[in-house]
This record gives sequence, structure tokens and C-alpha cells, in this order.
Amino acid sequence: MGVVVKKVELSWLDRTYVWPVMKGMGITFNHFIKQLFTRTSKRYTIQYPDMKKEMPAGYRGLHELKRFEDGAIKCVACFMCAEACPARCISIEAEEFSDLNITQGFEEKRPQVFKIDMLRCIYCGMCEEACPKDAIWLRNDYEVAAYDRLSMQYGKWDLMNTYAEADGKERITQDPMPSAPRRAIAM
Amino acid sequence: MDTLASLLHMSPAVAWMVVKIVIVFSAVMILASVWTWVERRGSAMIQDRIGPNRAAIFGRIRIIGLQQLLADGIKFFFKEDLAPTDANKALFWLAPFLAFVPALMGFAVIPFGRSFTSGGHVYHLSVLDPGNGMGMLYPLAIGGLAVYGVLVAAWSSNNKWAILGGMRSSAAMVSYEIGMSLSVVALFMTTGGYDPSEIIAAQGHLPWHWNVVPHFLGFIVFFTCMFAETNRLPFDFAEGESEIVAGFNTEYGSMKFSLLALAEYAHLMTASALIATLYFGGWQVPFVANPTVALSITSFVLKLVFFAWVFVWIRWTLPRFRYDQLMHLGWKVMLPLSMVNLVFHAWRMSQGH
Ligand code: SF4
Ligand code: SF4
Repeated sequence: MGVVVKKVELSWLDRTYVWPVMKGMGITFNHFIKQLFTRTSKRYTIQYPDMKKEMPAGYRGLHELKRFEDGAIKCVACFMCAEACPARCISIEAEEFSDLNITQGFEEKRPQVFKIDMLRCIYCGMCEEACPKDAIWLRNDYEVAAYDRLSMQYGKWDLMNTYAEADGKERITQDPMPSAPRRAIAM
Repeated sequence: MDTLASLLHMSPAVAWMVVKIVIVFSAVMILASVWTWVERRGSAMIQDRIGPNRAAIFGRIRIIGLQQLLADGIKFFFKEDLAPTDANKALFWLAPFLAFVPALMGFAVIPFGRSFTSGGHVYHLSVLDPGNGMGMLYPLAIGGLAVYGVLVAAWSSNNKWAILGGMRSSAAMVSYEIGMSLSVVALFMTTGGYDPSEIIAAQGHLPWHWNVVPHFLGFIVFFTCMFAETNRLPFDFAEGESEIVAGFNTEYGSMKFSLLALAEYAHLMTASALIATLYFGGWQVPFVANPTVALSITSFVLKLVFFAWVFVWIRWTLPRFRYDQLMHLGWKVMLPLSMVNLVFHAWRMSQGH
């Protein structure tokens, strides 16, 4: 069964062609005037390097590894994010650093190496979902670019400082507590 | 002012001629190149975009992007100048000039200001003085020559898309020429002369006496035909990305391309000057019976710029026609309309109006 195309009946005024053209010109002129008297910052086009788009809450941009107030990393090197990552771009090496819980048979863990390959990351946010400690999250920076591949490998300190400037936090380059050498646990 | 006047009296007629030529043609060329920018910026504004505004001198001084012209010019200038292997080299080189020169030359008879008397001598503000015997026939004839630019460009570049575009646009130009000429003939009849300055003088300074009012039908026909003549958008059959690549200038690059593009805009300027002269009183200033020379020049330039802007405006308002629709419109609508217009005015004159 074919589709019945309904023909639009034009009035005689519209069939002169001149009048509709004038109407169309009115529309375009309206746009022209409106655009001409809109300030550049209010226009639809965001002139990128000069102006930046405000990203909505929940935007998945560059990661940040959260820290405690004393600068200690929140991450406990549980590898959940690395497991959850569909792009397999997180690599973690754990280390021990405190005997807090030694009586219970384990020590505090933290990542010694926490690396995300930003070239492989698809910004899916699965790492944020998986993290039991809320230690990693994706924030609003979308300007992730570099001149070579190596600089796209974000290490632990890169990831902890990604939003240092934006938040007015201090840049940190070392853990507040030194790592402890692995000991045999006395039972 | 006095020194200027005495300089004018002392200088020979040839010098006055040269000055006029330089002023008119450089003004038209500058306007045409500015219009490439106006087109882009204007279209951007119409479509709620921003358009080229980033070109800047030393990366700093940007005057709303006007340097884009310079940047484009420099870029075109330093592009490699290629000619296709089997192209007819001589014609390939000649074509941009064939397009450019007629587009500029049409301007020669158009008075861009009031004639003035100084030191017992009348000075006319048009390159060719009125009474040269060619009058309005000259721009019409020269406008017809513009077909050659397109056609030669298309033919010489040895490319089937180019030739298709050239054929289409020359067919369009030729078929719209008739309607255009007929509507102008009606003007000649009512004016009783075919010299542009006569036509302007006959229109007077009152806007409702301008030819656009009694000759409204003729104006519509002439205006439409001007779009076809200049190959502007609702009728731009010389080009067409979706059908024939870039049409007649597919094979053109570098300065030759920019010359072809500039020719289009120069043609546009001539067309708007013609519209202003024939239908909107040329240099006549509304409600001012005897305007000063400067005022009349300003009035003419304003009219010209306005119509040039209308060309841009319409281009970004209307979608293109299909080729058969173009031919239909040209032969079955525009031609009869211009004939009706002609007969109507002939009848009106026979009734003694
Ligand atoms: S955002 Fe997705 S791809 Fe990127 S590191 Fe997290 S889980 Fe992996
Ligand atoms: S899931 Fe969270 S706590 Fe676990 S390794 Fe990843 S970032 Fe660290």
C-alpha cells in the first residue's frame, strides 16, 4: 500500500512566489538582527579557546584520585576499578604502609603505582561506579591532550593533582606516611 | 575646495577620465572583495553562527574579522597554480579575465553622482559621459558577454563537471537575458530615452515616482533575472556541490579561482548598480530636489550597498531551484510577465499617461 501524499494547497498569494519570498526574507532578517545584537558570550557558538563550555554535573571528564585532608590517598588499591574497566587501561601496584590493623592480620594498602592510559580510556565512568571507597571520580575537564603518547599515561601523582588548580588545592607529590616494608605477621 | 576646483579646471579631460576610471573600478573591486567577507559574515549571522572573525593582524588587532580578506588574498596568492593536463592552457588562463572584465565594464556608463558645473564646464560622474550613444544598451550587451567567462572556463578545463556547469549556467543566462531586456525596454519607452542619466533624471526625487512603482512587474522580472545573470543562489547553476562538484571552476585554484570568485562579486555590484539606477532613482536623494554632489554620491552608494546586501540576503533565504524549474520560470513565467509589462506600458502610453 502506498502512502498517500497530501498536497498542500497554496493560496493565490503564496502562489505568486513573491510574497512567500518576502516572508522568508523577514525570517532570515530577524535572525540576522537578533544575532547581530547578541553579545558574543550569549551566542550559540562558544568560541572555544577564549570561552569554555560549562560542563553539566555528572559529566565524565578527566579522572581525579581523591585524597584525605592530610593528603593521603583515599584509594586502598583494591583493584576493583581495574577489574571493572572495560578498556583495561588502569594498572595498579599495591604497597603497604601502616600497621593499623595488624592485629586483624592485614595492613593498610595503598597504590604505589596507579596508572591510567588516557589514550585507551573511554571515559565510561565504570571505575567510579566500581570503587568501594569513592576514591576515584570523573570530573569536568575535557581538555585531555598531549603531544606524545607517553604524556597520556597519567600516573598516581598526575591523577591526584588533576584538579588541584581548579579546586585551589595544594599539589602533592608524596604520601604523608612512608611505606612500610613487608613483614611476616606473627600469629 | 577652491584649490580642488582649480586643479579640476587645469587638468586635461584625459586626467579627469583617468581619475574617474581609477576611482570607480577600485571602488567596485574593493566593494566586491569586501562583499566576499560580508557574504560569509552575513550568512553566518542569518544562520545564527558567527562567521570568520578570527583573522587578526599580529594575532591581536581584529576588526570584526575584516582581515579575512587579506588572509584569503595572501593564501590564494601563494597557492600553487595548477592547470589540468589536457586543458586548453591559453583559454584556461584567459577565462578568469573574460569573467572579470565584463563584470567590471558594465559599470562604465552608470552615473554614480549628480553632474556638476564648475568653471563653465560640466563634469559628469560616470566613466563614460552621457550622450555616448550606447546608454543602457552597453551594460546589457556587456552583461551578455559574461557568459563567455563561465563557458570558456568550463570548456578549457577539460572536465565533464565543469562543462556541465558551464552549459547550464550559460543556458540560464541566455534565457533570462530576454526577460530582462524586455523589462528594460518598457523603461526605455516610458522614459523616452535609453541613457542612464536620462532615466535617472526622469525619475525625479520623489520615491513614489521612481520606476519601481509604475514598473513594479518589470522590477520583479528584472530583479529575478539579475540573479540568474549573476549566477547567484536561487539560480546558481554554474556550481552545485551535490551534482557537479564546483561546476565551472572545478579545476581552478590559486589566483585564477579568486579572480573568478571576485568576478562574481563584481558582477553582483554591477547588477545592484543597475537595479538602483533603473528602478530606484540612481543618485536621486529622496525628497531632496537638488542634492549636493556628495549627497548624491552617498545616496547612490547606499542604494548600491543595500541591493548588494539583498543579493546576499536572498541567497541565504531561498533554496536552490531545480534546473527544469529554472527553465520553466525563465521561459514560461518571466518572459510572458515581461511581455505583459511591456504591452501594459505601451497601452498606458497610448492612452496618453
Ligand atoms: S572511565 Fe572507564 S575506561 Fe576510563 S579508566 Fe574508568 S573504567 Fe576504565
Ligand atoms: S576501586 Fe577505588 S579503591 Fe579500589 S583500586 Fe580503584 S580507585 Fe582504588
